[in-house]
Amino acid sequence: MSCERMRPLLVRLADGALPQPRRYFVARHAAHCSQCAARLDELCAIRTMLRTKLPTHRAPPGLASRIVAALPRETPPAPSRPWFRIPAFGIASSGMFGALAGIALTLVLLHDGGRDDPTLRNLIGGHVRSLMAEHLMDVATSDRHTVKPWLSARLDVSPPVRDLADVGFPLLGGRLEYVDGHKGAAVVYRRAQHIINLFAWADAGPNTGFREQAQQGFNVVSWRAGGIAYHAVSDVNSDELAAFARLVGGT
Amino acid sequence: MALDDRKRRFEVLALPHLDAAFNLARWLAGNTTDAEDVVQDAYLRAYRYFSSFQGGDFRVWLLGIVRNCFIDWVRENRSGRMLFQAEPNAAEVETVWTATPPDPEALLLETLDSQTLERMMAHLPLEYREILLLREVEDLSYKEIATITTTPIGTVMSRLSRARLALRKLWLGAETKEASHVL
Repeated sequence: MSCERMRPLLVRLADGALPQPRRYFVARHAAHCSQCAARLDELCAIRTMLRTKLPTHRAPPGLASRIVAALPRETPPAPSRPWFRIPAFGIASSGMFGALAGIALTLVLLHDGGRDDPTLRNLIGGHVRSLMAEHLMDVATSDRHTVKPWLSARLDVSPPVRDLADVGFPLLGGRLEYVDGHKGAAVVYRRAQHIINLFAWADAGPNTGFREQAQQGFNVVSWRAGGIAYHAVSDVNSDELAAFARLVGGT
Repeated sequence: MALDDRKRRFEVLALPHLDAAFNLARWLAGNTTDAEDVVQDAYLRAYRYFSSFQGGDFRVWLLGIVRNCFIDWVRENRSGRMLFQAEPNAAEVETVWTATPPDPEALLLETLDSQTLERMMAHLPLEYREILLLREVEDLSYKEIATITTTPIGTVMSRLSRARLALRKLWLGAETKEASHVL
């Protein structure tokens, strides 16, 4: 076999990745060919050098505990979990949220079935779930320069994240969310003691105005701008939520 | 509770590979701060997709995610920067071999110190640095490297060859420079 064709086999030999019987033939060739022998030596020398002399970097102390602390406390929610199953889950899992679940259950009973918009129901489901399942935030910070890159690194949309603390809507953080079959962001704001979830996902449709809806005791304001569909969901009153929507959406 | 079990299982599998994950990220990103961000991202992503782990070598699966997170991180932070450079053509690599025939006495690799080696590695194209690390530090097989880098196994072999030659070329260049400096 010519030295030319031997070359890739020498590499595999040096890597210990050449099975018999080829290993035997290549080694035998190298034993009789000074050029190939020199190449093999050199390959082995490069390998040894890297293995013995290349500095390795150990994880800094504290990184492990930071990672463990950052792991979400629950699995990502399944897409479009029907809202009406949530109360039972809430009662079973957490006494603290039992009262809220009870209210939610009442709302289910009061809910008039004639006006059932599945998207709306899913949005409110997402909102309630975020309050009950201790999964309000994946990244909890009032710094929009942290929230925005965190979200856009994980999504194909980059929703605007604003700091509206000086107008009474402090930013709390953000998380990934599956709502109504869409993978998107939920940016979380607060109004007094009320949580506002701003859901955002990619939607190529034309820009729209603000559309206000109410269902099950929650208010929802929806609009579309710049290829993103927005839905603000909260139990704050409809005027305040509309004001919030205009602040966020008024680009 | 099942969710706690899942988290504990993840920790048991993933945390032992933290040094490997960090080392790869550190070599790719070039500094500790960015490497930490990449690794933290990678662990969160791994946890999120934990259910898609099909068994096999967890380290291989995890390092693949570290690599993806690094690529995303570069796209996010340094848009426009060429991430992985085009492979030099085979002819160019061959010239390296033939122009400087192997001469063990000229290539006194054992005299090379760690600092110089580190600097030389930093000069290599990203994909060369990556493949040398996966092969020599992580001691992964061609097949495992192919999985991590989502590259055909033949490409892994040829890229590994080129990476070693590129390192050799740098070393020979450094030697010549040093020799002429002394003279």
